Amino acid sequence: MLLQRIFTTDFFFSILRITAPILFATLGAVIGEKAGISNIGLEGIMMISALFGSLTAYWTGSWAAGVLLALIVGVIVSLLMGFFSFNLKTDIILTGVAVNMIGSGGTLFLVKVITQVTEGTALASTTSLITKSVQVPSVNIPLLKEIPILGDILSGHSVLTYLAFLLVFLTWVMLYKTPLGLNIRSVGENPNAAASVGVSVLRIKYIAIGLSGAMAGLGGAYMSMYYAMGWSQDMVAGRGFIALAAQAMGAGEPLGSMLAALVFGLAQALGIKVSSLGADSNLVSPIPYLVTILGLVVFALVGRSRARQRHSAAALQAAAAK
Amino acid sequence: MNKKQSLLFSLVRGTAAILIALLVTTLLIFICADAPDGASLGAAISAKLTQTGGALHQLLIGPAFRSNGSISAKNLSDILAAMIPTIFTGLATCVMFSANQFNLGAEGGIMLGAFVGALGAIYLGLPAGILPVVCVLIAAAAVGAMMLIPAVLKAKLGVSEMVNSLMLNYVVMYFIKYLLNTHLADKSKGQVQSYPFQADAAIPQLVDNGSKLSWGFIVALVFVVLTALFMYRTRWGYAIRMIGINQDFAMYSGMKVGGIVILSQVLGGVLAGMGGGIEMLGRYTAFSWSALPGYGWTGITVAILAGNNPAFVPFAAFFMAYLDKGCNLMSTYSGIPAQLIDIIQALIFLFFAAEQFLSRYRQKLVVRNTQAELKSKAAQTEGSVK
Repeated sequence: MLLQRIFTTDFFFSILRITAPILFATLGAVIGEKAGISNIGLEGIMMISALFGSLTAYWTGSWAAGVLLALIVGVIVSLLMGFFSFNLKTDIILTGVAVNMIGSGGTLFLVKVITQVTEGTALASTTSLITKSVQVPSVNIPLLKEIPILGDILSGHSVLTYLAFLLVFLTWVMLYKTPLGLNIRSVGENPNAAASVGVSVLRIKYIAIGLSGAMAGLGGAYMSMYYAMGWSQDMVAGRGFIALAAQAMGAGEPLGSMLAALVFGLAQALGIKVSSLGADSNLVSPIPYLVTILGLVVFALVGRSRARQRHSAAALQAAAAK
Repeated sequence: MNKKQSLLFSLVRGTAAILIALLVTTLLIFICADAPDGASLGAAISAKLTQTGGALHQLLIGPAFRSNGSISAKNLSDILAAMIPTIFTGLATCVMFSANQFNLGAEGGIMLGAFVGALGAIYLGLPAGILPVVCVLIAAAAVGAMMLIPAVLKAKLGVSEMVNSLMLNYVVMYFIKYLLNTHLADKSKGQVQSYPFQADAAIPQLVDNGSKLSWGFIVALVFVVLTALFMYRTRWGYAIRMIGINQDFAMYSGMKVGGIVILSQVLGGVLAGMGGGIEMLGRYTAFSWSALPGYGWTGITVAILAGNNPAFVPFAAFFMAYLDKGCNLMSTYSGIPAQLIDIIQALIFLFFAAEQFLSRYRQKLVVRNTQAELKSKAAQTEGSVK
């Protein structure tokens, strides 16, 4: 049975593994968008963080230091983006494009300079530097592990994978249960109104973009220190962009966006599985990107018909009132 | 601020942006330069400085002049040849960004255009003079059609054209890779590539020195003029710029915003596709791109440097091609990776697009100007009272 060969516990395990980096970036997009910032630089930030994270892990011999530095680099890059966008009034989308340029070419420059790999030795990467000892460790969850199928799927992931899903909840708490979240949402919805009640719009925007960068930084660390063993060129491969789509499909809410990210994870896991069964990888690789476009269309159509229903319901009520 | 002053301000601002970028570049080169082992600090620094100087010389002067001071015609024609694709993607980005459509699909667009042009060059049976023209036209049409996807989705459903165009770039790339690896592969060659183009399909060269400076360059310049005329002298161009400036105003004054949104992106696609086709037929004899070429992103930089004005695109494209050539020379001669260009590009880009960059200086200019005006007015009224 083909389906049995595809839908194994390994497969569901891999969905979570593949979703995690997208999820980190998606949460970054969610927080940014709540403050009215379209952070398309997530892709570039992930690349930059992935590089510095893996290098730090190699130098210090500690995965935790690598993850921490990746996070810090993510914050620094995003604050720089903030400086250009909020203070110098560069369009945020263009700032993002610039960060992505640095993320794709600039990182290659840096890796060549730092690791002294010259043009001759084909592709520069840090893949040889990350070994099992500095990889982000996997943990088995004691009780969960014993449950037959569920245990195989949910236990044994990396620390960062659990963190990604935990952060969905924490992001929700931050956005809806704390004063900071309220400020972020009010700045995103109406900056003038927020300013008029004494919220420092600039400060909130910096915090939001900083948090957004921190998420992307973690995503980058995940990519180079767990998902792949080390940094290589274009390794993020559009995950930062897919995150923007997941954010849009999830209507900007943490939980909904997580579900959308899981759909992309599923699409990609399915692609990998199908290609391992013999399909052409070039036919399978574009699936997540196609799913993104389709997802956005379906989401827009659903949103539109809902708005229509609401509209006609309101009209009916108005007519009844007369 | 009068026209002359605002021009002066733009010049100062642009120069400052470029200078900052070059300063950072110099710093980076200095850091990369390696000092001899065991040298004292002073000797190490002076060794690094000489290396930095040499690298900067390659970067800034190398593309134009040979080491003996004469102008290097080969390098310059290389630069002009490298401008062909970026002029087209720059124009495409100008048209789309003018309408405030952040479509980033020029990257996938130029690859698809190159691919479709290549298909035509391999398989179409047409007479010599017509073949390249038809190839370029079908390339343009194909990419125009591709851009319909983000354009229509934006106009009809309000789906972000940015995300969709980014996704399309990947889809296009894998689609082309798939075809290239399977049905269209020339199995007799060691690397993955298509069958060779028909000899008639090649776009003739302007100069025969291996630079690949083809007649495509002239076509590119013609399209600069055409796009500039379109944007500033036609109703459609006006409408495109107007929805970019104020979409609500455009809508209330009776423009069909949806149609213009679609028009701007499809036009962008047509330009990018044409650039892809021309680049492919002017430079190569078989299709072998296995990744996105990056011209789309350079095109965005070009459009930003040109202030979204098609007339300035060739200058911006020249500037970027010059720097790119400089980076390549530098990496050949001093071992500094050529990808430095991406960092320089990003920096220039950021400062150029920064509206508030040097705004205090502008403020001063305006204040000085107004004060002078007030003074002269006061003098005038005094005179009339007397």
